[in-house]
Amino acid sequence: MATPKRSSWERACEELEARLSREDPAQAADLAALDRVRVGLLGRKGALTELLKALKDLSLEDRRALGPRAQGLKTLLEGKIAERQNALERTADERKLSAELDLTLPGLPQPRGRRHPLTQILDEMTRILSLMGFSWAEGPHVEDDRHNFSALNIPEHHPARDLHDTLYLADAPLLLRTHTSPVQIRSMEARRPPLRIMCPGRVFRHEAVDATHSAVFHQLEGLYVERGVTFADLKATLAAFMEQLLGSSEIRLRPSFFPFTEPSAEVDVRCLFCSGRGCPVCKQSGWLELLGAGLVHPNVLKAVDIDPERWSGFAFGIGVERLAMLKLGVKDIRQFYENDVRFLRQFDENIA
Amino acid sequence: MKISLNWLKDWLPLELDARELSGRLTSLGFEVSSLEKRGPAFRGVVAAKILEVSKHPNADRLRLCLVDDGTSRLTVVCGAANVAAGQLVPLARVGATLPGGRTLSAAKIRGVESQGMLCSAAELGLSGDHSGILQLPPTPLGGELAETLGPADEVLDVEVTPNRPDCLSHRGLARELAAFLKLPLKQAPASTPPAPAGQCPQVSIEAAKACPLYCARLISGVTVGPSPAWLAAKLEAVGLRPINNVVDVTNYVLLDLGQPLHAFDAARLAGPGLRVRFARAGESLAALDGKPYALSAEILVIADSARPVAIAGVMGGLETGVTEKTTSVILESACFAPPDIRRASRRLRLRSDSSYRFERGVDPEAVLEASERAAALIARLGGKGSSVSAPGIAGAPPPAAKPIQASAERINGLLGSSFPEPQIEACLRGLGRLHPEGPGRWLLAPRSYRRDLESAADLAEEVARLAGYDSIPSQAAPVPPRAAKATPYESLARRCRSRLSAAGLLEACNYDFVCEKTLRLCGLSSAEAPRLANPVSDEWTLLRPSLLPGLLQNAAGNLKHGAAAVKLFELGAQYARRGQAIEERRHLAGLLLGPLRERCWKPELAPDLGFHDAKGLAQDLLSGLPALKWTPLRQASGATAADPLFHPAAALRLELPEGALGTVGLLHPTISRAWGLERQPVALLDLDLERLLVSSWPQARFAPYSQFPASWRDLSLLADKTLPYAELEAAARGDAQTLRRLDLVDVYAGKGLPAGKRGLTLRLTFGRMDRTLTDAEVDSEIARALERLKAAGAELRR
Repeated sequence: MATPKRSSWERACEELEARLSREDPAQAADLAALDRVRVGLLGRKGALTELLKALKDLSLEDRRALGPRAQGLKTLLEGKIAERQNALERTADERKLSAELDLTLPGLPQPRGRRHPLTQILDEMTRILSLMGFSWAEGPHVEDDRHNFSALNIPEHHPARDLHDTLYLADAPLLLRTHTSPVQIRSMEARRPPLRIMCPGRVFRHEAVDATHSAVFHQLEGLYVERGVTFADLKATLAAFMEQLLGSSEIRLRPSFFPFTEPSAEVDVRCLFCSGRGCPVCKQSGWLELLGAGLVHPNVLKAVDIDPERWSGFAFGIGVERLAMLKLGVKDIRQFYENDVRFLRQFDENIA
Repeated sequence: MKISLNWLKDWLPLELDARELSGRLTSLGFEVSSLEKRGPAFRGVVAAKILEVSKHPNADRLRLCLVDDGTSRLTVVCGAANVAAGQLVPLARVGATLPGGRTLSAAKIRGVESQGMLCSAAELGLSGDHSGILQLPPTPLGGELAETLGPADEVLDVEVTPNRPDCLSHRGLARELAAFLKLPLKQAPASTPPAPAGQCPQVSIEAAKACPLYCARLISGVTVGPSPAWLAAKLEAVGLRPINNVVDVTNYVLLDLGQPLHAFDAARLAGPGLRVRFARAGESLAALDGKPYALSAEILVIADSARPVAIAGVMGGLETGVTEKTTSVILESACFAPPDIRRASRRLRLRSDSSYRFERGVDPEAVLEASERAAALIARLGGKGSSVSAPGIAGAPPPAAKPIQASAERINGLLGSSFPEPQIEACLRGLGRLHPEGPGRWLLAPRSYRRDLESAADLAEEVARLAGYDSIPSQAAPVPPRAAKATPYESLARRCRSRLSAAGLLEACNYDFVCEKTLRLCGLSSAEAPRLANPVSDEWTLLRPSLLPGLLQNAAGNLKHGAAAVKLFELGAQYARRGQAIEERRHLAGLLLGPLRERCWKPELAPDLGFHDAKGLAQDLLSGLPALKWTPLRQASGATAADPLFHPAAALRLELPEGALGTVGLLHPTISRAWGLERQPVALLDLDLERLLVSSWPQARFAPYSQFPASWRDLSLLADKTLPYAELEAAARGDAQTLRRLDLVDVYAGKGLPAGKRGLTLRLTFGRMDRTLTDAEVDSEIARALERLKAAGAELRR
């Protein structure tokens, strides 16, 4: 049987519940209104506070029955008010920031530099070759006749020397290397086979400089010496290299002559620009001449005391500037050496 | 070398057009650098119809042809046997121009005037065919044939690699193509000379090593005059100017067979006999190019009894050359040792078609063949009265090359191919005599013109070439995994490049060459800079002694093009002469000029770069390097090549126990002005990377840090401007055990300070690993630090 106290409390509670359903505190327009709602309900004299206080006048049994109802109401109310307060504060913050910040001002320039485009191309090539097991090797720019010529099967008074216009030093019997191949000799002198090396570097020619010729340029050389290395190995290696580098594994080998390889080949890659249909870049041939390659000449192996009957090898070389010009659309080789910041800035990473 | 398609057809029943042929040559290893269509080399030749053929009244072998050229009827004397009424033939009218530039005039032949000439294909330069008058396809009468007969010839510019001198002739290339295209090679036209007549020239060799074989013939009773049209057309097609019938024959045989020949005017030689010897000191010769050449003892010459008359294998003498007045000719055909010819040609800076072939090596077996061919031809073209002597021969062809062991297994083993034995054998058979040595094994004696064949590898190339490189599989053998290794330099260079480019520098790449003027502008000495013997230009006479001049040049160039900031670095070699040797050291150089950021709308974020930026770069790059010492450049011991570039009071030398590592500092103002860079400070960095390669860079290891909050205090200090910060920092640090960090957070030298003083703010951060420090503990550390600072000359700013 409901006591009069209990029923009046229940009435007050129902009234409050009805009021709350009429005016949702979460509808308060701003933080001040919300605060008024909070004080009106949850303040020291607030309606809900009063109702909770009135609980203590009820019997223990009634308190047990009605207490949770009042508490539930309080939790709900506090949650709603907090949520509304959050939303109102967030809106105010956002309004304030958007007034202060001009999002259309340019981003502050980050002072980031660039690796030279030739470095980027070389890095890409050496990255691929290193994944194929080629280790780095290096040698000096100033070379002697033996390493640059005679050990590479280019004897003195041989017309093959005409293939390289050489720059000589004035005060010493030395020259500037005309290709990276002397590094082959140095590597084979220093280490016995098996050998799988690559040597990126500068080379020098006595050449009048114009848009497509330079007295200084870069080459990348590869050398692999092992038992039973064949021309078929060379073809497969170059195809894999070119596929990674250019996305074109279609290569063509043509007979050619280099004194330090036999058989020798010029290596063409399917034109990147026309896929072989013919365009001005490939001079309508559908092919781009990119590498020289071949099996290491037996005389070269003999020159470094490696028995050509027991060992064989292949070598290949690629001109870096030519590839860079093709990939980057540079028309004048001299621009690689002018160091105009307008040029150097253009080539960002991931070009290769 | 220029190759005429018509000429090639003298040797080969070729049905390919020039484009196809050039493709085949390319896959054989002969790159074709250009293709040229040659229009007919004649004018005024028209189509005419033969109406009537009758006998010449005064000559059995000549006929009179009445022809209709569409406008009139003409009588033409003709010697060809194949003319008949009704034929449509080429008629060269009076006034026509024929190959070789000859203009046709009306002429009486055996008493009958010929009002023109009926032409063979050879006479029009259309092919080598001079067997009879050319029969034309249906063509309107009187039509100019130069316009309707299409290209007379196609000429390919073929690049012949130095290992294949045997292909420096039409026969040589035809031989290659015959093997590749499986076509029969035609025989050389019969060249039986008339029965030997006249005295055989005496020849002797006094330098047997340099000239193994020398042959000379005397051709007498020669009338020197213009060459016939077919010969002129052939030479013109390959870019030679016809000169006279004797010289043209020597050139023709050279280009046909590859054997260089020389014709002397016999009357101008001081007899008796010719000798092959080295020149004597003081001798000289005016060569056919009109220039005098001083000869020396390593230059091989041909001499008569008085003097040199030719530079052997290179060029004949002007005085003894063939002229219109010549009536007897001594024709030389010889074999010279390649190195001797090459040396002479280089020494004299004189090159010719002959020297080009001799220095690569000619076929010894073609020496006599070419002599016979050319002698017979000169006699034929030189008029009725000419006769040819027997050859005077000295020496003998050099011994044949050593036979090569060939085996199908070895060849396939090198190529990674599986060509069947018969295919390999067929290919080898084309290269020389083959003696079977067992199944799939042979001994190959290469032909006399294939001196390039020496080893199994050479044979493998021949097999691959004839089969086509495309027929070799693309197949790599499995390789045991072996991780690639970088050289120490490669790793270091990568580190430098990534750090400096991340710091905003662009990587530069300069030539290794400089000149004295550039070095002088940099205040650098050129005494130790290695000099080039044959520089490409006057601006590139020396190898750079430092990378910095290049960067200065780049900076000046960029400013000129309107750049506001230049931030560059370069990795490369610098060179120095050390007695007979050249020292080459790889360096890293850097240059900073202008604002940190360009086009930045917050100027406070774009201060001009200066000394401390360069120092910061060096510190970052070298962080973790133990035993690195910084010394003011003025006090540094020893010098580096780039020292004169630096302002002596604004530069620090970096030193390692092994020696100087480099320098960082401001550009010397004098040099700055010289380069027009004085408007803003230029900071430079120069590091000797070789030095870093030998010093060990310790591997980074974890250092524990405290889990407890740290406390910090800022100290605003006032000190004499002359008191170095380093001393202040040392005083602030003292022996404070709980000091975790010390940072300089501000330097102020503006208004409101006593004269000669500056303000510095230090931030000291304290902490312990095991607990939080109390304020009292921190305060007492600060008090002690202030005491030490006071002793050092700094006190708290009020």
